[in-house]
Amino acid sequence: MKRINENKLDEILSLYLDNSLSEFEKNNIELLIKTDVNVAKRLAQLSNLRDLLMAKRKIEPNIGFWTQLSQRIEDTRREESNYLPFSRKYISAIAILTSMIIVVLGTLVIQNRELVFSYISEKSQVVKEAYKNNFLQDSLLPLFSKVDKDKALQFSLFGTLPLDDKSETTLKIDEKSEKGYRVEVGKAKKKNLKPVTFENFIAEVKPTNMQKKIIDSLLDLTGRRIESSVLIGENNTMAIAPDLPSLNKIMLTNIASCLEPNQRVRFEKLLETHDAPYAVINKNVLKKNTLQNISNRPVDNQYVIITPDTLIYSRIQLNIDSLRKQIEENISKIELRREAMLKRMISKEFRNVGREPYFPEHFSPSEEDRFISVEIITPSLGVENRQIFEIIRPRVRKQIANQDRQNQIVRTQILKDTNSSVDGK
Amino acid sequence: MRQIRSVSGMALHLSGVNWKVSNHEPTVGVIERSFVTSHQNKNIKIMTNEKTLTITKNALQKIEDEAIISAFQSGDKDAYRLLVERYQEKIRNLLFSIFHDRDFIDDLAQEVFIKAYQALPTFRFESSFYTWLYKIAVNKSRDELRKKKLRRFFSFQNLDEGINNEINIRLSVSPENRDTQEIVSLGLQTLPEKFKTAVILKDIEGLPYEEIAKIMNCELGTVKSRISRGRAMLRKALKPLLDEAKV
Repeated sequence: MKRINENKLDEILSLYLDNSLSEFEKNNIELLIKTDVNVAKRLAQLSNLRDLLMAKRKIEPNIGFWTQLSQRIEDTRREESNYLPFSRKYISAIAILTSMIIVVLGTLVIQNRELVFSYISEKSQVVKEAYKNNFLQDSLLPLFSKVDKDKALQFSLFGTLPLDDKSETTLKIDEKSEKGYRVEVGKAKKKNLKPVTFENFIAEVKPTNMQKKIIDSLLDLTGRRIESSVLIGENNTMAIAPDLPSLNKIMLTNIASCLEPNQRVRFEKLLETHDAPYAVINKNVLKKNTLQNISNRPVDNQYVIITPDTLIYSRIQLNIDSLRKQIEENISKIELRREAMLKRMISKEFRNVGREPYFPEHFSPSEEDRFISVEIITPSLGVENRQIFEIIRPRVRKQIANQDRQNQIVRTQILKDTNSSVDGK
Repeated sequence: MRQIRSVSGMALHLSGVNWKVSNHEPTVGVIERSFVTSHQNKNIKIMTNEKTLTITKNALQKIEDEAIISAFQSGDKDAYRLLVERYQEKIRNLLFSIFHDRDFIDDLAQEVFIKAYQALPTFRFESSFYTWLYKIAVNKSRDELRKKKLRRFFSFQNLDEGINNEINIRLSVSPENRDTQEIVSLGLQTLPEKFKTAVILKDIEGLPYEEIAKIMNCELGTVKSRISRGRAMLRKALKPLLDEAKV
């Protein structure tokens, strides 16, 4: 008999054990088993192995199997019903249907691609035009189209923003009001001092490169925030974000927080020279405690809206990024609108503005040098405000301080007189 | 037609084991507790009452899988319990032979039955239910073995070496104190997955070559070759144990 290799022998013996050989093969292998002891031994081993495997004991049954399984099935069913809007058995049908629809639509689009492309471009052009027209005719636009670093710094330090090129008209944050703040649009007070530019600030305060970068980015953020805080509309409408008055203090605090003590002294000198409304305190504070967040939009998108007839408090959804893009494209038109708005303000069109019954802020009528003045009643100082006043404080002007000292002397004198007259009695 | 034949067959059979059969309405047996299966479109109802509960268990064994699946596909989801109870131990034992891990097999067996539950509505009676169920179990265990292999690869473990050492230690024990079954199970773990599954299905589960080919989704010749090679590998791994037996 031809010698067969071990693998082949194993296969034949395995089939022989399973009784799966043909009669001829069976006879041959039986002959081999009889004549070759090794083959017989191998067969015996395989046979023993099979017997051992067949006798392999079973594991003990799990009585709670169905209970556990039914719970899991129920969970799976619940999960599926949560995300499938139809029965699971329709999945394949729906998948086939969807694919067919996609194929049909795809074929139609490919066949009529020129028509489709021209339709889409035509529509997009129409939408673009409509948006452009609508944007310029009805919606609100920023009063300050491009607030650069210098203007942002001016606002941060002094709370004022020039509204025209000659700086004759300004928007000003006035804090003389007892109840809160006042946003005013009016004539600029003539001062002999030149406005503080970013370059002046750098030269005077001497910040490091890193500080310069931080202040630079803070001013950029402030500029964007101012742009979204004062808006003008087509129909003699103006909208002011009520949280604008706190922005200059927040910025002043942030700039002061970035500086080292000796730089803060120089900064305070600069502020004092220009009679800034706030003074910087030279006190060691942790930056993380004093740095304030500047959001890029007003709180809850709420604005005070002023029209020649009324004053309302309303929410305006504004996408400042898309607005900026539009501003760049329509800068000349925006300038025209701002000029027209200023003319209206100067001609006191807003003098007798009425107030909605639920309007929470006080609106005061215009005086000679003020065209619009909105008083915003602020709540009691919150944590943020306390943190602001850790590093800055309202400037005590010399004239007022002297007056206060005089009043104190008078009060002390009256008190003395009263006491002596009581003693005399 | 298959469904009607199966259910009719079940009706006849159950009528012979003390089931009430209405003359007006052919009524077939089952099921436990308050479980009622209707097959109204085939004019057949499955009823139950307290008395019949005792004979239900016996009668259940004689109901064909196809009849239960038909009931399931007709909307009686509770009928699935009969299939689970019929095959749960087989599947658990199959998975235990493959993995030799008691803690893990119940979870895996449940996953197999969940998969079967989800696919049963589309079961087309092209093979027997148990072949189909075994196929799911084998595929599931193949996936699981792959995952285990991957985990071992990333944890730099050499499992085969550990098993071979354990086999040798266990073989060094005197024959009367030796757990032969455990050694055989360990020996199976040294086989590559495709040989191991083929040997388990043939020698432990006792399935014919044709069924194994369907379950493993391969040719008949491939199955024969895998079984013989698997047995040969196992013979080598357990040679000292097998030599002790008389020739």
